[in-house]
Amino acid sequence: MISLSPEVTKLHNAISPNELSAEQTALEMRDLNLFYGDKQALYNIDMKIPKGKVTAFIGPSGCGKSTLLRCINRMNDLVDICQVKGEILLEGKNIYDKDIDVANLRQNVGMVFQRPNPFPKSIYENVVYGLRIQGIKDKRKLDEVVETSLRKAALWDEVKDRLNDSAFGLSGGQQQRLVIARAIAIEPKVLLLDEPTSALDPISTLTIEELINDLKETYTVVIVTHNMQQAARVSNYAAFMFMGELIEYSDTNQLFTTPAKKKTEDYITGRYG
Amino acid sequence: MLQTTNQTHNQNFIRNLKDKVAKYGVTTGGIMVLVALLLIFFYLLYVVQPIFDDVSIDHKLDISITMPENTLALGLDDHVETAFRLTKDAKLEFYTLVGANAGSLVKTFDITGGDQISSFAKSMVHLNQYAYVTDKNQLIIAEPKFKLGFANNQRQISPQINYPLTNQGIFLNSDSVISKLAFAFTEQGGGVIYQNEQGHIRFVRLDAEVNFMTDETEWVQTQINLPAVSGQVDYLLMTADISRAFVVQNGQLFVFNTRDPENVSLVSKGQVVDYDKQVTATSLLGGANSIMIADSSGEISQWFEVNGEKGRRFEKIRSFKSKQAVTDLYPEYFRRSFVATSENGELGVYYTTSQATLFNGEITKGKIATMSVAPRADAYILQANKTVQVFDVHNEHPEVTWSALWNEVWYEGYSEPDYVWQSTSASDDFESKFSLVPITFGTIKAAFYAMLFSVPIALSAAIYTAYFMPAKIRTLVKPTVEIMEALPTVILGFLAGLWLAPLIETHLAALLVLVFGLPVCILLVAYIWHSLPISIKNRLPVGWDSLILIPVIILLAWGCIAMSPWLNDMFFDGDVRLFITDELGISFDQRNSLVVGIAMGFAVIPTIFSIAEDAVFSVPKHLSQGSLALGASQWQTLVRVVLLTASPGIFSAVMMGLGRAVGETMIVLMATGNTPIMDWSIFQGMRTLSANIAVEMPESEVGSTHYRILFLAAFVLFVFTFVFNTIAEFVRQRLRDKYSSL
Repeated sequence: MISLSPEVTKLHNAISPNELSAEQTALEMRDLNLFYGDKQALYNIDMKIPKGKVTAFIGPSGCGKSTLLRCINRMNDLVDICQVKGEILLEGKNIYDKDIDVANLRQNVGMVFQRPNPFPKSIYENVVYGLRIQGIKDKRKLDEVVETSLRKAALWDEVKDRLNDSAFGLSGGQQQRLVIARAIAIEPKVLLLDEPTSALDPISTLTIEELINDLKETYTVVIVTHNMQQAARVSNYAAFMFMGELIEYSDTNQLFTTPAKKKTEDYITGRYG
Repeated sequence: MLQTTNQTHNQNFIRNLKDKVAKYGVTTGGIMVLVALLLIFFYLLYVVQPIFDDVSIDHKLDISITMPENTLALGLDDHVETAFRLTKDAKLEFYTLVGANAGSLVKTFDITGGDQISSFAKSMVHLNQYAYVTDKNQLIIAEPKFKLGFANNQRQISPQINYPLTNQGIFLNSDSVISKLAFAFTEQGGGVIYQNEQGHIRFVRLDAEVNFMTDETEWVQTQINLPAVSGQVDYLLMTADISRAFVVQNGQLFVFNTRDPENVSLVSKGQVVDYDKQVTATSLLGGANSIMIADSSGEISQWFEVNGEKGRRFEKIRSFKSKQAVTDLYPEYFRRSFVATSENGELGVYYTTSQATLFNGEITKGKIATMSVAPRADAYILQANKTVQVFDVHNEHPEVTWSALWNEVWYEGYSEPDYVWQSTSASDDFESKFSLVPITFGTIKAAFYAMLFSVPIALSAAIYTAYFMPAKIRTLVKPTVEIMEALPTVILGFLAGLWLAPLIETHLAALLVLVFGLPVCILLVAYIWHSLPISIKNRLPVGWDSLILIPVIILLAWGCIAMSPWLNDMFFDGDVRLFITDELGISFDQRNSLVVGIAMGFAVIPTIFSIAEDAVFSVPKHLSQGSLALGASQWQTLVRVVLLTASPGIFSAVMMGLGRAVGETMIVLMATGNTPIMDWSIFQGMRTLSANIAVEMPESEVGSTHYRILFLAAFVLFVFTFVFNTIAEFVRQRLRDKYSSL
């Protein structure tokens, strides 16, 4: 059993995720199944993701946690052979409905990837990319968004004097924060983080984790992580997945201290994974 | 234990050896490549360099003569082994220039048999004839001849004399003694223009008439007084083909058309030097289209007939400046070069067309009384200070100067200065025109049209294949396009020249419709496909839907071609080619830039496609996903992120294509008319540097100016590709620093 920091204990949330009311729910998955060609990757996922909290998906490699995350902003659409059955409700509306505009959905559900992926542009242009895509040209508005986003991403002080320099001049941790700033610049409702620190050094990891903690004030955050300590540190709720199935989903404290399922316990005690 | 150490030691040794061998092998290989490149560079320069060499004139030997004041003319044979002198007492003396007796008299001929001489004239230099007129108006033409013989396996030159008009000469029916004379004589006939002491200026046409009884040649004379000119004239000249006679009098030039002896007419008349100056020397230039006139201020001007707006007229084309007044002008045999002698013994060598002063200086002491240029322009013989001297001359490539290669040059017979490439002709007195501008222009033009055709197609194909195409089809399409690159260009050129060019000529209207119809048609089909119900769309695997365009394109092309006769009738009066040439006034070549653009574009497409596709495909997926995750559409992602990141690679691809198009030979050789013209028109052909080298190298004489200029063309081509690649690499590096991802 891993030891929990006092912080996590403090974060302990009494409400079980399945008892969330409609107002408290940001996302709801209903009987979600996903197939890569003939191979099924997700089985009957039913879960509610709370609003304004951090939810972590954990599980061994290949368990489907990233796939599930990518369902939320329909990034799986890019894989030709991928087929999704079931529903994901964002504010009560199924995002797999035919009349959903994927681009619009992705503006509401931002995503940060494992590797920092700034565009080959200046820091400024990276942050305003999402706005330019929407056709916003007002210089004042863009400047304002750049500052607020970078401040929110805790990067402003480090880069404010070199906004027009290439984003490649930043360190890995700074790049990842830049990417987060870029994602929040378009003010999404949900922010998906796909192993955001796995390519970073411990100090950068710490900064990002602190950032995640701040972000949940404004956004619903869903994070996929390999690192159980990280999940324990940053999340309010945690979901353990195994072989495409959602094994256990509860508040983080409970999941790590008193797992209900044998598989969960085996995993968090390090027997596999 | 010991064994193990030994083994490890051995392994280490072998490993180090391999490492060393690889290191030095790779280094050697790399250096060899650079050395080979430098060698090519320097070899080209080495061959080209002599055309920019200076003229050198070196004293060779002196000839001892008696009575130097009697000299009228000097001359040399082809090999500069024998010299000759014509004297005032009508003797032709030969001197040998080789062997132990070099410089001594070997033979003398008496031309008139002791009669008094009233006048003497030289023919145009390449005819090598000399005319004496006795005081009894007997015209005798003498021609020094050199008979080649081989005795004891050694070449021997025996000097001889030839009398084209028999050694008696013919009687010129003049009413008084002839004082001035000019003539030209060939086997077909001769022309003489003279002035006698009465002041009459007459043209005499001599025609050979063979008496069929005795088989003897009789010379029939037709004599006519020249109109429009009277009084004492200064100079008389006659062209070699007896079509023009020139009279210079008081700074005025009269030009007569003497083609028809019954009707000699004044062609042109005008002041050729300023009123305060006098004409000091005149001469016809080799080739006989130009007359050179020197004045007392030392200016030498070239005049020839120009077909301008006001009809044909003599115009001053260019002039040269000598420091002193010119005493005489001596042209070379065939080249447009001439030597001017001046009062104080200085000598200037000029080339007219390139307007170059090749040499200017003193080569001997004292005033040059007379001189002559050897037939091959490799020696001068001159009399100065009462001695006759022979000089070795190195002046192989006077016609080439940097400005003549790259600037407009006014050639004889042209109405204005122009860029002309015309290296050879059947005629001897032809002047080669070596302007690299038209063929450099052709290279750029061919590359331009090829790029115009290939870049849009290749880049769109590359982007589609790398970014939109399903992986399965991509693995088929990419190698297929790359195989196109292996197609020998000679086959492409052959097809373009013999199949495509006539096809385009007959179906030009169809092509036009195709160019505009194809995009419209593709968009239409895409729209129809898009609005089909899903059940039909799902019958095709994802991504294969683009294949339905293939039958559409084939159908459209077939439809256009089938429609073309009807289109021709409807819009182009039945024949597009005639319509273009007659109605639009654009000249149309069957093998034109359109054909080259398509054929060479076809050859260049695989190069551009392959590199650009790699560049687009290797844009990291996490960049495009990052963009998509921000709500960008596929198109926005492509334009704003993918193409930006791939831009160094795409730029390289285009530059590689351009490099290939510039250097491509076989296609332009076979699919263009190889016409060295300067015209951007898509319906005109061109001649490129590479094709020019391929066409002309086999027929150029090793070491000639033409040969060296072809090497210069190769050098220019080399520099072209070198500069292109350097710029490309530079820009690519800059782009990569700026845009490439991690």
